[in-house]
Amino acid sequence: MVAGRMELVCPAGTPSTLRAAVTAGADAVYCGFNNETNARNFPGLNFSPEELAEGVRFAHDHGKKVLVAINTFAQPGRVDLWRKAADDAAECGADAVIAADLAVLDHVAANHKGLRLHLSVQAAAATPEAINFYAQRFGVRRVVLPRVLSVQEIVALNRAIEVETEAFVFGGLCVMVEGRCYLSSYATGKSPNLNGVCSPPENVSYDEDSRGTTARLSGFTIDRYSPDQPTGYPTLCKGRFTAGGTTSYLFEDPVSLNAGSLLAGFKAAGVTALKIEGRQRGKGYVTEVVRAFRRAVDAVEAGGEAVEIDRILAEMSEGGRQTAGAYKKIWR
Amino acid sequence: MDSGARDGELPQIVRVLFPAFGAPPLGMLLTGSIRALARRQPRLFDRLGAHRSATFFIDPTDLAFAFTVVPDGEKTLVRVVGKAATATADVVIRGPILMLLGLLDGSLDGDALFFHRIISVSGRTEAVVALRNAIEEAELRPADLLGIHGALARFADATILGGLSAARRLTARGSRPAVRGS
Repeated sequence: MVAGRMELVCPAGTPSTLRAAVTAGADAVYCGFNNETNARNFPGLNFSPEELAEGVRFAHDHGKKVLVAINTFAQPGRVDLWRKAADDAAECGADAVIAADLAVLDHVAANHKGLRLHLSVQAAAATPEAINFYAQRFGVRRVVLPRVLSVQEIVALNRAIEVETEAFVFGGLCVMVEGRCYLSSYATGKSPNLNGVCSPPENVSYDEDSRGTTARLSGFTIDRYSPDQPTGYPTLCKGRFTAGGTTSYLFEDPVSLNAGSLLAGFKAAGVTALKIEGRQRGKGYVTEVVRAFRRAVDAVEAGGEAVEIDRILAEMSEGGRQTAGAYKKIWR
Repeated sequence: MDSGARDGELPQIVRVLFPAFGAPPLGMLLTGSIRALARRQPRLFDRLGAHRSATFFIDPTDLAFAFTVVPDGEKTLVRVVGKAATATADVVIRGPILMLLGLLDGSLDGDALFFHRIISVSGRTEAVVALRNAIEEAELRPADLLGIHGALARFADATILGGLSAARRLTARGSRPAVRGS
């Protein structure tokens, strides 16, 4: 699929952050409702239908789009909650729904034919066969790519599919296959796929003493930080554990994705949209990250090199460490 | 210049301008202002949900006193307390006053300040998250807390926010957060 100008898709956890993202240069903003239908179901976060309608009006007045994430998996006996979210998104004038659950995709395809469907990263669709199935069956127009593909693999994928592709370029990075991770549920009873929250904050505690800070999840120690070390949010996949007499990050280092140096590669690969993660982050974060990527994308679209944004954004990252992730599979 | 400050804290010379223990009227003033704000914009407190009855202990580490806040809309209660009065707190938030004020007006990213240890948080994390999100959405200006309107509010906002921005630049003085290698 040949892409035009790459679209910058930015996160918003609240209406004020939506306005901040639009003002900072987002082409599109993605957000969700304040319930279990979206994968960032944190206290005080997200939109009511009325707030979404206002947000859509604001974005459209500025020539920008709003994409609504209804990207958790509907639960037996409660599918109406997910259907209602899709109906509300359509009623509010959203430009697209981002979904992974077959029931949600089917509901939108059958009842809101004018509403674009984007396949959520939660669907973990990484092959032409899977993506083409969603496109043919539900009319999906764009797929958000799982963060397991190299740039070369995205090139090959784009040659084999007819729908747009959206690639994450900045923010939190999951080591697990998205949509299939239940690690959080073993400690808390809740998972991002079903309840919309990984490591729910009611299970998180930070305890300070003279040696530093201990981060716990449901009482399990996930990591300890000395007073001069950056901290992180305690997710099991990024915890530091002792096994076989060695203490290490068993699953994944607590690093954040930053593919700012690969924007020209994404452009050449035919990627349609670049996605910034972080609906749980605040206006300060969104404003700074969106501004930096706006400059970088504009530079690439003008035929130049991406501006150096790694240094600018290092301090915005959880743990202060960044990686290009699977996009550069240097271990091969 | 050795100001005696670290990580954005007020220089020692500025700290002496504040009383050793905040006067009770400060708590009453803030209580009244936030209650008035709740009357004008009741939806601001909706995002707190059940956590509006939580007690937040807020400790500006570069001042000699702290606050307890119960952000319950028109029943909000702000008290000026001593540094050790954490026994009844559900949440303890500590950090330099300029950074805490930056969180109020949304000009600073609370997560980045927390990850880099500029502010610290302990207690009920879900209440902290709800408060952070409620404050983010509120887009509070100094005039909102002072309970003033119109031209006076615009003047107060411009003056105070400009002053805070300048103060942060002065106190930053090479105390950027430690960043591990990328």
